[in-house]
Amino acid sequence: MADTNTVVGESILIKGNLEGDEDLTVQGRIEGSIHLTKTLIVEQSGVVKAEVSVANAVISGIMVGNLTATDSVEIAETGRMVGDIQAPRVIITEGASFKGRVDMGDLALPRQAGAERPKAVFKPAVAPKPMARPAPAKPAPAPARPAPAPAKPVPAPAKPAEKAASKPEAPLAEALAGASKKKVVIKKKR
Amino acid sequence: MSAEPPGVIGKGISIRGNLSGGGDLIIEGTVEGQISLHNHLTIEETGVVRADIEAERLTIKGEMSGNINASERVAVLANAKVQGDIKAPVVVIEDGAGFKGNIDMDVKLPDGIL
Amino acid sequence: MANVIGRSIVIDGEISGDEDLVIQGTVKGKIALKESLFVENSGVVEADIETQNVVISGAVTGNIRASERVEIKTDGRMVGDIKSPRILIADGAVFKGNVDMDR
Repeated sequence: MADTNTVVGESILIKGNLEGDEDLTVQGRIEGSIHLTKTLIVEQSGVVKAEVSVANAVISGIMVGNLTATDSVEIAETGRMVGDIQAPRVIITEGASFKGRVDMGDLALPRQAGAERPKAVFKPAVAPKPMARPAPAKPAPAPARPAPAPAKPVPAPAKPAEKAASKPEAPLAEALAGASKKKVVIKKKR
Repeated sequence: MSAEPPGVIGKGISIRGNLSGGGDLIIEGTVEGQISLHNHLTIEETGVVRADIEAERLTIKGEMSGNINASERVAVLANAKVQGDIKAPVVVIEDGAGFKGNIDMDVKLPDGIL
Repeated sequence: MANVIGRSIVIDGEISGDEDLVIQGTVKGKIALKESLFVENSGVVEADIETQNVVISGAVTGNIRASERVEIKTDGRMVGDIKSPRILIADGAVFKGNVDMDR
């Protein structure tokens, strides 16, 4: 085995921290943390419950924990993962299951609808621009930003803004700053 | 699946407001507001959607921001850009797609792993 | 497929299992196996080891309890106590510690 690939077999359990500069194939179980400069492969029988930072990851087994990859993360058909992913490329294959956050970095949505039309067109009526993020640069009237503080005592003008407070995506808010967005609450019709 | 041909919102069309209905829909233009469909919604390459979406199935090839709640499946195809949260039993993200947000699928893990 | 902890890998923690394990990298902590442990030339183990067989060609610091056999090969270096019914120490091997061959 000249060019070895580290393999953690089915019956093997490693508890602790693992670091390395080579590919790692997990058929068994690792709990703790994994830091690799190469690829982590979690096979179908594999279970990783760890904070993981790698170049690439391919999950066909179970992965629980946060995963940061400098290149790519793929959750294969049989993969199941709970945790957050940060990687420029993330692939979720049909059949995979995943729960958590995915962050591929800034999406730089170039074709914003707002860019195609003047901002002013968008509901100039919606009084306070509800920003999900406290935006000091924006001249939004102070009482209209419920996000930073529990805005119980905010009086009437907060109606549309209150709903917007649950908007989670700060960068999005920035991206959409051109257009006032009202947070619409989906009502089940069925 | 509805037997009728899908509705199309063409490239030149911009819609602001709520959109709801029972048939399949293809969006090639711009929609802003809220979308609630009983069937399959496709956002084409040229489509730009800024809306919370409720549908049975959703296929995204263009741009979309907002929260998604699909009863069956969401597919974010290779050149799509999506920002928002997705809740669906099946979520597929192709290589090359851009996505930022939460994904909530039902993940069945063995007992005691969490 | 064999279990291999490759050259560049450093594990700080516990390893347990019932398969053979080949260590080419570094393991600190504890190793508990039901089969054989091979510490190859490049392998560095700073751990207490409990297993059936151990073959050491690399460096081991720690105590070993093997239910069958411990072999320290020519290139092997070991510091620690060994408890095992059979112990082989090859010519050229370096060993410092106690040996207990009681069953």
